[in-house]
Amino acid sequence: MTPNLPETDDELLMRMRSGDEQAFVALYRRRQAAIYRFALHMSGSATVAEDVTQEVFLALIREECGFDPQRGTLSGYLFGIARKLVLRHVERGRSDVALETDLEGSALAELMVNDDPLADLIDREGIEALRRSVLALPRRYREVVVLCDLEEVDYGEAAFVLGCPIGTVRSRLHRARALLLEKLSQRWHHRPSAMALKPIRCLI
Amino acid sequence: MNCQEFWNTMPELAPEAEAAHFEHLQECCACAALLNRQRTLASGLRMLAADWRCVEAPARVQSRLTAAFLGQAGLAAPRLASRWWVPVVTWATATAVVVALAMFLARDRQVVPAHRTTSSRVQLAAVEPPADLEMPGDFSDADNDFIPIPNAARIEPNEDLDLVRVEVPRSAMIALGYAVNEDRASEPVEAEVVLGADGLARAVRFLE
Repeated sequence: MTPNLPETDDELLMRMRSGDEQAFVALYRRRQAAIYRFALHMSGSATVAEDVTQEVFLALIREECGFDPQRGTLSGYLFGIARKLVLRHVERGRSDVALETDLEGSALAELMVNDDPLADLIDREGIEALRRSVLALPRRYREVVVLCDLEEVDYGEAAFVLGCPIGTVRSRLHRARALLLEKLSQRWHHRPSAMALKPIRCLI
Repeated sequence: MNCQEFWNTMPELAPEAEAAHFEHLQECCACAALLNRQRTLASGLRMLAADWRCVEAPARVQSRLTAAFLGQAGLAAPRLASRWWVPVVTWATATAVVVALAMFLARDRQVVPAHRTTSSRVQLAAVEPPADLEMPGDFSDADNDFIPIPNAARIEPNEDLDLVRVEVPRSAMIALGYAVNEDRASEPVEAEVVLGADGLARAVRFLE
């Protein structure tokens, strides 16, 4: 007796296109979370993420963008649409991205004093600080970190989503991680606990 | 191996370094510190990813999309779906109504010669619509001239109706109780047809 293997995305898509509601629901449930998280990480807004997720799957339903299995995976195709939609939302100024404004007064201020700022990453505040640092990255670096590091998309698929060579994905990722280290270090050095040791007047 | 070679050949954030890399790390504190920081960052990113693993779109998105899918597939819930097809269906239905009326009248006209008597300008007989066909709501006013189509379903009080303007042969008016001059029976006349939620004609009003 052969075990029932889960259907591939392409199989579900074929059934979906023949009007099978269950196939659509299965495909949606399989892919929606990653798309939603990608949009949320990229925009910083739950409203935008919800809109983008809905529009991505509406495009799939309406077959507006012409997915071709020969050119890439369905997952990469959905990420590609989501990326364009997020950019459109951000360009319209509808994104309520929360950047660095409230960082220093909240999570980072409470971080423990430590010689290595990255040691903070093991606790919840540190993880939140890292998330905000990702959100504060320039868009081209943010998207590779979100895709490759957070959603564990392989470099080839990320290259397909971003429309660039794999080498570019690697170099952007390398640069993005360096920027993250830099941001986390800068923030650690600007914490109130560190600022408290800064001299306010020279006596000699 | 120098620092440049180390970073050029070091797999990014690899958990284990090869022997050559390991030797370099023992010799170069700067690279060792940077690698350690990168691995800590990678660990933090993995924790962030795990922390967000349960984050997903609200359930209402699936509800909306399922409705849209069913609408797109023509299965149900047309109001929640894209309504690009509504005009197509409306016009197709209107065309069907016109064809049905024309066929109905063509059948009736076959018996007309038997009733001819003296004049070529005979006023054809008018038929009163059945009294039990009521027209509720906006279509029930005495002065709006809408006539219920015989044998059509009754219009429900809150039913979603469409109004379509069509052109039909003047002879179509005979079946609905109008007197029509025989010489002008083939001339076109504009009419407005009320379509029910099921797309079927419920009533008609002639505009001339």
